[in-house]
Amino acid sequence: MEFGTQTIQELLAGYRAKNFKPTEVVERYLKNISERDEKLNSFLQVRPEETLKRARTLDAQIDNMSTLPLFGIPLAVKDNFLVNGWQATAGSKVLSGYISPYTATSVERLEAMGAVVVGKVNCDEFAMGSSNENSAFGPVRNPWDLERVPGGSSGGSSAAVAAGLATVSLGTDTGGSIRQPASLCGLVGLKPTYGRVSRYGIVSYASSLDQVGPFSRTVWDSARVMEVMSGFDPRDATSSKRSVPKFTEELNTNSKRTFKLGVSRAWLEGVDSDVAKSFDSALEVFKKMGCEIVEIDLPHTKYALSTYYLIAPSEASSNLARYDGVHYGYRTQSAKSSEELYSRSRGEGIGREVKLRIMLGTYALSAGYYDAFYLKANQVRRKIQEDFEKAFTQCDFVVSPTSPSTAFKLGEKTDDPLKMYLSDIFTLPVNLAGLPGLSMPCGLDSRNLPIGFQLIGKPFGEAELFLASHQYEQARGQFALPSMLKGKG
Amino acid sequence: MLSREEVLKIAKLARLTLTEDEIAFYQKQLTRVLGHIQDLNQVQTSKEAFVQHVPNDAESFREDRAAPFANPEGLMRNAPAVENDSFLLPTIVEHS
Repeated sequence: MEFGTQTIQELLAGYRAKNFKPTEVVERYLKNISERDEKLNSFLQVRPEETLKRARTLDAQIDNMSTLPLFGIPLAVKDNFLVNGWQATAGSKVLSGYISPYTATSVERLEAMGAVVVGKVNCDEFAMGSSNENSAFGPVRNPWDLERVPGGSSGGSSAAVAAGLATVSLGTDTGGSIRQPASLCGLVGLKPTYGRVSRYGIVSYASSLDQVGPFSRTVWDSARVMEVMSGFDPRDATSSKRSVPKFTEELNTNSKRTFKLGVSRAWLEGVDSDVAKSFDSALEVFKKMGCEIVEIDLPHTKYALSTYYLIAPSEASSNLARYDGVHYGYRTQSAKSSEELYSRSRGEGIGREVKLRIMLGTYALSAGYYDAFYLKANQVRRKIQEDFEKAFTQCDFVVSPTSPSTAFKLGEKTDDPLKMYLSDIFTLPVNLAGLPGLSMPCGLDSRNLPIGFQLIGKPFGEAELFLASHQYEQARGQFALPSMLKGKG
Repeated sequence: MLSREEVLKIAKLARLTLTEDEIAFYQKQLTRVLGHIQDLNQVQTSKEAFVQHVPNDAESFREDRAAPFANPEGLMRNAPAVENDSFLLPTIVEHS
């Protein structure tokens, strides 16, 4: 049997029927990686022996698999997560060669429930970017068109699942880094509510915005990963104590509910025509399902870009101060004083975009500018949050395209950071407001590239998000596969 | 346009050594992004209305209790150099 495009649900059914064992599945995925990833550059590390050893222990547990909701599921993990014994570079030369001494809570929970880590995957350096071209280890290519980017910053996480190299993957989303690459690669990507998933063991970028979330082929799979991974963690003081619903149960019962979707037409101005058409067709599908579309107003979302590019770099400039070449990571060869050791190690080890953001943040937080920049941005952030609070009095979800365009060509936006930032206009406000956002594929453009539809929910409203998007997915039918997978399993 | 000196001052605060090409690049890009950000001044805001993003039920404090770390060998593996089971580091505090 061919493996690669199966869902968690399909693999679990196969294990239950004893059609195959975890080692057979894992071997096949490792083979896919060695055969297909040369073109994509999505994996930064594989450890076949370790992975197969783990699969063999699961083989022995197949009769007890009902206690393991992710039994034998191949999982790829973004390289800004710590997984004991694996590297964690966060896409940066500064952390080249760093081996994690412990495991992130999110990964620990998935492994405890049967998931098998098949590798660490590429990303933009310190999760800063929208195309995966900022990685110190080379860009990732989009399985739908190898001349195009997979999106970013979790580009390796999206390319790996889209190309059948893992069943699911983990990413982090600070301004769209899960949803935008999911959109550009034709997958389901979820940024949970801030506080829903522990951030313990991920490399910090902007701590008030970062969240961990899954990439998958289906909404059900996303729900399954989330019900295992979410919930309070004493090691993350910002994680919520709220109980975690059994997200898949409601989907299994196939319960039908109708929802009100809020659309802000002013926000959607300027999106590519194919994206706009596909978005409108998806709204029609929702209407046929009995959902109501209402017009809402989000007057401050147009300030989200500026707000984000003050808050995120400010937090980053503080979080990244730890990479000084002293205790671990890259160290310069030519320093005559400790001052020079820090500055040269950082100057040589950190890439161009990350340095730009560190400098933006340093400027915004420097004496005399704090009130005008950082404080002001946090006040506007509150306005953006209020826009959504008001919208949710009129609707259950706010919806939009996930990205204003489909996958763009490598090199197309690398010389113009501001142009690159505009890729995230629909995703940034969601992080600023701390809300859950889910992207799912809703169509293809004229070049056969996937288009994503974003649903934004109320705080801790993941269960409703899953239900609405699952119902849409049923109505839409199975989504297309990239041409490199045509005819493959 | 941000001056060369301003860029160098920010780089010094951020502890970043820049090449000549980088100075020119950041002079242009920092100016552009900071220019774009000026649009926030169009928004009327009040000092009190600050963002609340951390969940209300998040536990801000916990007991400060030391516990042994399970994998000290794993920590040592990342040391740039080791001497007597300790990280061997360059001189940081210099005597004048």
